[in-house]
Amino acid sequence: MLEMLISGFASVFTDPTGIIMILFGVTIGIIFGALPGLTTVAGLSMFLPVTYVMASNIGLSMLTAIYIGGISGGLISAILLNIPGTPASIATCFDGAPMAKKGQAGKALGLGVFGSLIGTIIGVLVMVVLSPTLAIFTLKFGPWEYFSVTFFALTLISTLTGKSVVKGLLSALFGMMVATIGLSPIDSAKRYTFGSLQLTSGFHLLIVLVGLYAISEVLSTAAAKQEQVKVLDYKMKGLGFTRKDLNGNWINLIRSSLIGLGIGILPGIGGSTSNIIAYSVAKNSSKHPEKFGTGIADGILASESSNNASVGGAMIPLLTLGIPGDGATAILLGGFMLHGMQPGPLLFQTNGDTVYHIFASMILGTFFMAILMWAGMRMFVKILKVPTHILIPLIVVLCSIGAYALSNRVFDMWGLILFGILGLAMSKFKIPVPPFILGFILEGALETNLRRGLEYSNGNVMDVFTRPISAVFLILTVLSLGSTIIKQIRHSAKAAGKGAQS
Amino acid sequence: MTSDSKKELGVGIFFLALSVAYMLGTTRISTFTPFGNRGLDSRSVPQLIGFLVFVLSSVHVIQVLIQVKKSKQDSVEPLEGNRDQVCDTDEVICIEPPKGSIIARIDTVVPVKLLLSLLYLVIYVAAYQGVGFVISSTFFLLAESFLLVKKEERKRWTVFIILYSIGASALIYFIFTKYLSLFLPSGILG
Repeated sequence: MLEMLISGFASVFTDPTGIIMILFGVTIGIIFGALPGLTTVAGLSMFLPVTYVMASNIGLSMLTAIYIGGISGGLISAILLNIPGTPASIATCFDGAPMAKKGQAGKALGLGVFGSLIGTIIGVLVMVVLSPTLAIFTLKFGPWEYFSVTFFALTLISTLTGKSVVKGLLSALFGMMVATIGLSPIDSAKRYTFGSLQLTSGFHLLIVLVGLYAISEVLSTAAAKQEQVKVLDYKMKGLGFTRKDLNGNWINLIRSSLIGLGIGILPGIGGSTSNIIAYSVAKNSSKHPEKFGTGIADGILASESSNNASVGGAMIPLLTLGIPGDGATAILLGGFMLHGMQPGPLLFQTNGDTVYHIFASMILGTFFMAILMWAGMRMFVKILKVPTHILIPLIVVLCSIGAYALSNRVFDMWGLILFGILGLAMSKFKIPVPPFILGFILEGALETNLRRGLEYSNGNVMDVFTRPISAVFLILTVLSLGSTIIKQIRHSAKAAGKGAQS
Repeated sequence: MTSDSKKELGVGIFFLALSVAYMLGTTRISTFTPFGNRGLDSRSVPQLIGFLVFVLSSVHVIQVLIQVKKSKQDSVEPLEGNRDQVCDTDEVICIEPPKGSIIARIDTVVPVKLLLSLLYLVIYVAAYQGVGFVISSTFFLLAESFLLVKKEERKRWTVFIILYSIGASALIYFIFTKYLSLFLPSGILG
């Protein structure tokens, strides 16, 4: 593994174009992260077509660099505007903005960047160590094991997101319905094509993702009534903080990073969840919880280290199982597929060089992110003043190029609009999007492995329960579903009780 | 019935109708089992998905109706989550923000802008192939930028938006076709 990583570094450092692309990707990511209303996913969607003609290792390194920059950039607006640049920086506002209001914006920014650096390093290092080991383990998987893992991932995301497990499951099944459009796996039977030649190949993953995430997000930002917000002034000397500011915070940093890593590994959710969980854990285990929210270092460090550690965490299921850890890694999955690679256990055997090139570039990108943010903060703060009426139409045009260039057909652009509207409707009716995405991505694997498993076992479905790994994942599925349903019944009983009392 | 309950009922009915249409659609899927049917065919999984959606949407509709009935009996509105809480986008966790913390929000949606943005996008896509990338993109950038810029600032931005729309479209076309080897429709510019 170490040898492969060294050769990954060698290939990164011997290619100046690659290094420039990583630097470019991190810069773009920070800009997208810093601008409120635009997220990492929009940045990835916008720059995806640029990578179409690049060598796969350079293109994918640039995309991962955008991801790292995007998660980190959110802290700038969280601290200086009191608006989270991305959902991953919500908790950064709690202490970052009050610290800035006290005239210590430079210190808040410096601490945020440091937290981001530590979080990303921990996340990426665990990813580098854990992914190849897990990939070796998952090589032992047969169709039943794959079926159980994908089934577990789908039910887990459906139970975790939103307030209703029924709506979560419906969303996942809706995604699976859309995925069945086109040719069936194994026997290539036409399904729901309505005689259309275009629908025979189904909807491309990137059309669904960019439509649901980027187009709907950009449209709702376009329609949002923009309030005039004031960018706070700041002064940052050196790193912005002293060693004293970190006293007593090392455990907080490591604990929050591990929380971010763990949340990132869970399918479908990432930094937007982990920063809030890490913040509340830091507050609950602090000796001075009353100081949280007044502008203390602990809160900023907890939020920023956890959301950045989710980057490495979310890459683990993507690389080892082909299951994206969050929205951004779902786009990355599309990027891998565009470059002719299928993330999963075989990726390390078939494209080991590219994977380790990406690992090395992610480590390099982490340091670029910190250096760029410390040295170029003034530039990024100026970008906060770029009006959205200039940026938003441009993002739509570039996303459209990405859709058109997939197969040189306007049909995919119509798909972009369709899924953009679907994303807006789902948000309006509070139907969680991540289960839909995962349902769409995993339907093929679920169906193929279920059918293969039954073929191998001559139609005997009991094999799925008797194989140990498969059985473990099915038990986990039952546990996660059962505990969520019990929790929701208790919650509604409690709410009904309160309603009757009032 | 509150507007939230109506929305939830609408979600349930939508999925119920979808599941029925989807299951009917499975009858048109051809199956191919040359070695005998030892497991599932191309129709089985869609049938299973349709059935599960039918069951879950029925559960959802029943849940909403029970909730509405209960709230009528107790003559109180069904309790909603604490509006002051801060949640992540996927609503996995919600917490009480620290006292005095107000995260500035930009979430008031202007429906006219949304509908017009969608209309411009539809026109853009419809014109993309025939009119060509440069002209359709120029008009889309112009229309969308003018729609989004604040009314009181429109005059100040006019010249910039016109130059930016033409320049950006031409530059993007040039970069993508010359340097990134992608095909973009040239349309009437030939």
